[in-house]
Amino acid sequence: MMTHEEANELLASLALDAVDADEREAIELHVEECPRCRGELDALREVAGALGNVVEQVPEGQWSSISGRLYEGRDGDAAPPPRLLPLVGRDADRHELRDRRPAISRRAGVVFAAVTVAAAIAIAALVVSLSSANDQIAHLQGALAESSQSAVVAALETPGHKLVNLEGSNHADLAQFVLLPDGRGYLVKADMPALPTKDTYQLWGIIGGRPISIGIMGQAPGTVTFTIAGSPGPSDLAVTVEPAGGTPAPTTTPVAVGPV
Amino acid sequence: MEKIEEASDAQLVTQIGRYSEVALAEVYRRHGGAVYGLARRILNNATEADDVTQEVFLRLWNVPDRFDPARGSLRSYLLNDSHGRAVDAVRSLSSRRAREVRDAQRTAGVEYDIQHHVWDLALADEVVRALDGLPPDERQAIELAYFQGHSYVKVAELLDQPEGTVKSRIRNGMRRMRAALVDAGIQGADR
Repeated sequence: MMTHEEANELLASLALDAVDADEREAIELHVEECPRCRGELDALREVAGALGNVVEQVPEGQWSSISGRLYEGRDGDAAPPPRLLPLVGRDADRHELRDRRPAISRRAGVVFAAVTVAAAIAIAALVVSLSSANDQIAHLQGALAESSQSAVVAALETPGHKLVNLEGSNHADLAQFVLLPDGRGYLVKADMPALPTKDTYQLWGIIGGRPISIGIMGQAPGTVTFTIAGSPGPSDLAVTVEPAGGTPAPTTTPVAVGPV
Repeated sequence: MEKIEEASDAQLVTQIGRYSEVALAEVYRRHGGAVYGLARRILNNATEADDVTQEVFLRLWNVPDRFDPARGSLRSYLLNDSHGRAVDAVRSLSSRRAREVRDAQRTAGVEYDIQHHVWDLALADEVVRALDGLPPDERQAIELAYFQGHSYVKVAELLDQPEGTVKSRIRNGMRRMRAALVDAGIQGADR
């Protein structure tokens, strides 16, 4: 075990990565136990960061390489934390990164179909984002599918989750969603016929008696992830068939409805 | 929700923890050039620097909780990761590459390379001033360690000085740098 004095003497060298692996391990062990050394190491690393703060033009295609590797090596057994699509997705769509958005999202053709509650409705802001797998993302990679499936499994194991069953007119079970206390939701299973390309399923939350769009589910829903933030939450979920691209308000009667 | 380009670095990392690729893209937009720039300076090789940069951002994606905003800026965290990886790469170069590096060092001389590195770095004026303000032996030890990726043991060997002396020079020089940067109002390299 390295003494305080020994470790302290090497903090600056560690901040410069100028120690060997054994010394690094020994110093870091000490630093974990010593707030004084931890504070000094943090400050010295800031100095090292300032020394190395040189900006260069990144190579073309570097971001694509990074985004293409985000899910590599993830196996289905090691369930990742539930995926939560960014609440800021709509803003991000507009900002300058649009032309180099992450490859997985691009491949997935993720649709952020979020609709804020009309100003006339005096309820807290509702921020919704949704991604869906439909025929536009037929080439969705297996890694993402596994990841989403793992997220569903994790959601089903989360304390306080709610299962929402949506039934059709003949009381047939058409879809089941799981909702988490923090507003995240996932499609667990669906038994809805594929639609022609001109149409899409659209998911709605009934809030204060009014349907609020949660997002577009695609022609043949498989993977659907969404987040509902704000209160009150929906009293019911409903699915309608709408023109591809979705609509701000339902134009048809729901094909499936279920209480939350 | 505010626009992503207005989010703080810490907020972006929180979003990355929720698997927000857009947040990672924004972090890359802000800091990718610096991460790559440092790796390239250390490695003097664009392909290897590209590899290091990818690994830095993939690590942030895979283990975002390793970044603790209470302990420093995201820029410094990423740069330190980039530096550590670049140094690892330098130290594990193939014998051929290592021989090339040694040959180049013998040809150009350590002092020349250091100057070349430092002036090429186009550091912020305050950082250059802080570095310039160090006693020459402290500055030399820091530059050999940081910009050329040498351990303090190797620096001692290169300078033909006792290891303890080099350790002290690095420690004293870094503390002086820290004080100078604090005086200049530079706490870190955060945006």
